[in-house]
Amino acid sequence: MLLLAALPAGTLAAASGENPFHLKPGAKGASCLTCHEAFRDTLALPFVHTPVKSGECSRCHDPHASAHGKLLSADENAICFQCHGGIVPAGARSIHTVVVEGNCVKCHDPHGAKNKNNLIQAGNAVCFGCHKEIAEAVAANSFKHNPVEKGCVTCHDPHAGAKSDFLLKKSQPMLCLDCHKSGQPAFQRQHMNYPVAKAQCTSCHDPHGSKNRGILWSSVHSPVVNKMCSQCHLESSSPNALKTRKAGFDLCRGCHSDTVSEMFAKNRLHWPVADQRSCLNCHNPHASKQKALLAQPEKQLCGSCHSDTLVRQAKSLTKHPPADEGNCEACHSPHASDNGFLLVNAKTIELCGTCHDWQKHSTHPIGEKIIDKRNKNLALDCTSCHRAHGSEFKYFATYDPKAELCTQCHEEYRR
Amino acid sequence: MRSRVAARLLSGLILAACVTASTLAADIVKLRPVAALYSDGKGSALRKPEGVACDGKGGLVVADTGNARLVRFTLAAETAASAGEIVTAGGGEIVLGQLPYPIRVQVSSGGEIFALDGKLRKIARLSPSGEFKGYVDLLAAGVQSTAIPRSFKLAPDGTLYVLDIYGARVLVLGTDGKLLRQIAFPEKRVFFSDLAVGADGTVFLLDSVGKRVYTAARDSAAATPLPDSLKEDLGFPTAMTADERGRLFVVDENGGGIVILGQDGSYRGRQSGLGWKEGFLRYPGQLCLDGKGTLFVADRENNRIQVFMTGR
Repeated sequence: MLLLAALPAGTLAAASGENPFHLKPGAKGASCLTCHEAFRDTLALPFVHTPVKSGECSRCHDPHASAHGKLLSADENAICFQCHGGIVPAGARSIHTVVVEGNCVKCHDPHGAKNKNNLIQAGNAVCFGCHKEIAEAVAANSFKHNPVEKGCVTCHDPHAGAKSDFLLKKSQPMLCLDCHKSGQPAFQRQHMNYPVAKAQCTSCHDPHGSKNRGILWSSVHSPVVNKMCSQCHLESSSPNALKTRKAGFDLCRGCHSDTVSEMFAKNRLHWPVADQRSCLNCHNPHASKQKALLAQPEKQLCGSCHSDTLVRQAKSLTKHPPADEGNCEACHSPHASDNGFLLVNAKTIELCGTCHDWQKHSTHPIGEKIIDKRNKNLALDCTSCHRAHGSEFKYFATYDPKAELCTQCHEEYRR
Repeated sequence: MRSRVAARLLSGLILAACVTASTLAADIVKLRPVAALYSDGKGSALRKPEGVACDGKGGLVVADTGNARLVRFTLAAETAASAGEIVTAGGGEIVLGQLPYPIRVQVSSGGEIFALDGKLRKIARLSPSGEFKGYVDLLAAGVQSTAIPRSFKLAPDGTLYVLDIYGARVLVLGTDGKLLRQIAFPEKRVFFSDLAVGADGTVFLLDSVGKRVYTAARDSAAATPLPDSLKEDLGFPTAMTADERGRLFVVDENGGGIVILGQDGSYRGRQSGLGWKEGFLRYPGQLCLDGKGTLFVADRENNRIQVFMTGR
């Protein structure tokens, strides 16, 4: 007790954790500035991080030694959360990838910046640094969406969407209805008096702007262009106005009878065509950014069901360009075919030969008369040795080309 | 006193462990390839067969899809393990204009053949001799709206279970062809490709994209998911059958394997794999068990039916 009483007061304060590095009173940031003189410019910026402003460099940095880069006292992808732990609400529906990664410095300067919230760039520029595709589209749009011009954070929370996808502050249509009053006569006229306030606005509209009037997506279904909503939906005065007149492909058959009839006349139907959602499994019935009103880019769309194939493609040592680029239709018919795997050609050799001049690249006999030694019911074709969506071996061989591939048949050469 | 209690506790724990181990062991299945069927009785090769059905009395019917026919075989009383002499007779074909593209097949206890045509999307009924008797008329059965069957199963008691993907339901039809009940698809499912029926009437539904099995108890009108997701174990499952113990044999079409699930839907192992040689599978279709431990698999892209013995 007597010993403790003899110690200076500052020492006791250190013991409590407020001054873990036992800095002399009044030292703090000033002592860092004696070497890091250029930092004075940072302190002069309009927006300075609070611990920096109060000279508490040791809130983030260990002045002596550290196991982390830049003498940070914790991992750079975790240190911000020590104070800003609540930045992502518990159970958030969507979280910005950079936040998940703890890569806060991608957007924020940890010391100071010219922009509010210590953002490294002002306004939308900080978002467009990563979201280049959106930036280009926004710049090229003929019809702008006002909230985008005001700033991305008008609609999006840059860290997480508590209850909404895409970091939205609210789900649609509530978010949209904050500005667009669905009860206004002009709104109702434009939507043919249909109760769209209950629908998904982005089914027709590109929220970032568009080259089309009404900021409709680039590819628009004809009935929508012609404002003939009642061609598919019940009359606008009906209690269930948004309900379609018929279900599934029966509705689409009304205009696309040739396509639907052709599909159903084939031996093999792509089964999603025949289920309850039918055409809507792949197509957006109103408008889309993709050709043919596909709901997503082809690779993502097909991959949403055939995820195992996509995973194999991604892991494949050699990439097969049509598969890798998401040009599934190069080989497969998306609706129906008379051929296995919905291939557009019954003969594999001919199909592969569309791109590959195999007669020059391969001297191994293939064709209907060349029987596969492994299976008397099979003839050799490209898929006898290659797996079109990829494999762990070079040239997506089915077995290791250096060893097992050839000796699958030529067993006499097996070591 | 304490040592007696401890000893009892220890022996109880050992007993529990033994019971658990034996239960688990009972669910472990090994598939031993024994033979393959390549052609009909006249030597005409099978082509892209997608369906196979066992009648439980030594008969086998193959949906030889690529050849637009059904082929019938009679199985040997005992499966010869080495020589693959599993067929004693048959290989006779059934070719019908009403069945241009058979993809799934079942045989009733009375010998009637039911075959789902992939092009017409109808279930054809054939007499035991292969004569066309008509299509299963779902409208006449009392089904009110359009139905498109993706698959179907025939229970031993003659009840027909139809996987109607357009109506998002399983239609259960009695032996008189009348609709008994419907089992609505659960909201959270992605896409059902097949169903199986257990010996106790439990219906199992296979979600190919969600990689999950759902179950509906006998007489139930709704299906619920089995606890375990199979995303780690299955690539793209498209066919399923149940044995007399309620174990499920699931075809992983893209992975070329057969995954076995326990009575509770838990993973019990994976057998076979992608390949061309006997014992391996390439994009297999339907499979069936003959009740004597023999598993038949329509090995589609290998143009054959593969035969496995099940065992531990």
